[in-house]
Amino acid sequence: MTSSGRTNISALPRGHEFPPFDFTISAAQSAAYVAATGDANDYGSKIPPLAAVALGLAALQDAIALPEGSLHTGQEVEHLRAIVVDAPLRMTGRIAQRSERHGYVISVIEFEIAGGGDVAARARTTIMAPAAAA
Amino acid sequence: MSIDVQRVTRTLTQTRIDAYADASGDHNPIHIDPQFASATPFGGTIAHGMLVLALIGEMMLAAHGDAWSERGRLKVRFKAPTRPGDAVTASATLLKQSDTAVEYAVQCATAAGEIVIEGRASVASAVAR
Repeated sequence: MTSSGRTNISALPRGHEFPPFDFTISAAQSAAYVAATGDANDYGSKIPPLAAVALGLAALQDAIALPEGSLHTGQEVEHLRAIVVDAPLRMTGRIAQRSERHGYVISVIEFEIAGGGDVAARARTTIMAPAAAA
Repeated sequence: MSIDVQRVTRTLTQTRIDAYADASGDHNPIHIDPQFASATPFGGTIAHGMLVLALIGEMMLAAHGDAWSERGRLKVRFKAPTRPGDAVTASATLLKQSDTAVEYAVQCATAAGEIVIEGRASVASAVAR
């Protein structure tokens, strides 16, 4: 554990499951995301598909610590269903892969975002973190 | 199925990076704290990878509409950091198209030509689902 109470990602074993995280994305949050990215598309009542993944990833950082020198090296996303503003969402995730190479721990976080029982997005995030931090 | 994917170019200023940190909730100091970031191997702040990746999402949604939200797939590697002031262009090159899907090579590159994100994007047809 770190001083913040979060566990370094490099210390998490393969198979570690993160507690399910419930959240919604409001119209204001969606608008802030669109403004920040500069996205010119008109989404109406829908959320930009990558916004849900980005917000889910940021929420994971409440549970894990990314030590200095960590790198987000890869991202896979599968969009399965559009998400609308204020829809109740549940994110579930786990460490799907873990390996060590050249002084770094390479962790693959696999997660799903579901709403109303249907999966809206699946994603895999690859993080390289210094092994010494484990 | 449309294959006309228009490039998207955007300058990633520190103001935009700060706004993205607030919008996404990712306040990692490597993105928003110049003093902290100056002491790292990057020598300064860098944009969130997901902010840069958003250009590809924007580009694909503009080309494919709801099909991207419901049947789009993306697999990329973050190859290099993007720094405040970099003008980044997202682009797509058609690799193959069939009755069931269309697939592109996608990338984000700086004005200097450095590829910062590289990968594949595809959209399945409604029939393929």
